[in-house]
Amino acid sequence: MYNSIIVDYFSNPRHSGELTDANMELKIGNSVCGDTIFMSVKVEDGKIFDAKYKAYGCATSLATADIFAEFIINKSIEEIKQQPQHEIDKMLGELEPPQMHCLNILHELFEQIRSAA
Amino acid sequence: MVTIQAAMENLRELGINPVTAVIGSTQQLFQWDEEKVNELKGYLISQNFKYHYENNSFYRMLCEDSGVTPADVQSLDDIQKIPLIPVTSFKRPDSHLLLSTSLENIEFEMRSTGTSGIPSISRRDAETLNNCVFSIYAMYREMFAFSRGAGLFLFPSPEEMPEMGMVKVLNMLSGLFDATRCLVKRASFKPKEAIETLEKWQNIHTRHIIGPPFLIYKLVNYLKTNNIHLKLDQKTMIINLGGWKRFSGMEIPREQYNKECAEFLGIPEENIRDMYGLVESNILAIECEKHSKHVPPWVHFSLRNPKNLAEEVPQGKRGVLAIFDPTSLSYPGFIQTEDLVYLKKENTCECGRNGQKVVYLSRVAGAEIGCCAINLEKHMDAAEAKSEMAEV
Repeated sequence: MYNSIIVDYFSNPRHSGELTDANMELKIGNSVCGDTIFMSVKVEDGKIFDAKYKAYGCATSLATADIFAEFIINKSIEEIKQQPQHEIDKMLGELEPPQMHCLNILHELFEQIRSAA
Repeated sequence: MVTIQAAMENLRELGINPVTAVIGSTQQLFQWDEEKVNELKGYLISQNFKYHYENNSFYRMLCEDSGVTPADVQSLDDIQKIPLIPVTSFKRPDSHLLLSTSLENIEFEMRSTGTSGIPSISRRDAETLNNCVFSIYAMYREMFAFSRGAGLFLFPSPEEMPEMGMVKVLNMLSGLFDATRCLVKRASFKPKEAIETLEKWQNIHTRHIIGPPFLIYKLVNYLKTNNIHLKLDQKTMIINLGGWKRFSGMEIPREQYNKECAEFLGIPEENIRDMYGLVESNILAIECEKHSKHVPPWVHFSLRNPKNLAEEVPQGKRGVLAIFDPTSLSYPGFIQTEDLVYLKKENTCECGRNGQKVVYLSRVAGAEIGCCAINLEKHMDAAEAKSEMAEV
């Protein structure tokens, strides 16, 4: 059911937790299924220095939060903005139909960074 | 005479899973005397404890902290030593620690959400899911003996809410009916449509109504307000799952509910049945015609002192429910719930079944009021309010 990328990031999360000096907040929430991500981000001079998250929901959504945090850390906002859609689509690996909503979550996280910056 | 332990081990040697063999004997087990059932439960639970101890490093650490090893748990008398997993652990971001298997082996995630919106997620591998499905169907067959009829489903279709525990468990009944209809669509329920469907099925199927109490109550209130008295069938069942406390905090009065269901649906009160279960466990305790909620005979319920969860309270006294479920392999099914319940003093029942009988009272003080039904009601209320605003 889960591809190796999801298994790895769900089982060994690298960036879960909270940042005390964050200056950007991202939030994903779905009132029905309950997948929720609170991500705190530390941005300085247009570059992301750190990101941590608290996520609640299916294994794929928890892995999505971790994969996204890993991707944005040490990147400039401009670099993140320029990440092509088709590259974002590949970040979670091959997903089964019931997991596809997590790709929407990933795109939504990118969108929130683009709008917040 | 062969001991239960020897019989179970013989089954295992033959390549037959003792847990599934036991589930397949539900009807017979409800006739067993207490001593024999306790011996069986003690064996299954101690074997299951050993499995999790050996396969789950996080759980093993909990056991080591408590100084418990599989050698300490040999029978039902020892199970109080088994460390319990607080039910809130299934909501934690690090809930992957609960797994006794790799995520690669997980086949299905089931969820429930309460008022906080944070989902509780339980992850089942193939064998756990088999046991879960067998358990639920075994209890449905034992308590309702459904093999035909029509089910009016007052809950959303699994297509709308594919992983919601309550929906999944209730929808399993569809496999036993000839016709079903889900009447909660896009967070909306129209009682008039329910009445039309019931009338359409008249003289064709035995009609059953299934759903959370708040929605069945909504239908009954509609009938009451409009002075409509239906006459459903002699064998019609009204099956409830999902809690009696409403999102507003109001509790649906059970006695009044039974009386009004009987009056406005035209059925005997003994056909109104409640069930108790939680997504984190594979159990479903179902009411018999005498309104006693029977615990599946392979599961053990232990009640704990709310002020000291390590202390067991005697049968008949209220306490916080701890569940020992030997059917779970993907994570330890030894769960400390936040539900205040009591077990009826006698382990016999007028219906003829033996075993533990649970009475749900409330959530413990301070616990989140949460279940699939409350989340559904909250969602439906919001959708209704939005629709009313749009009409204005």
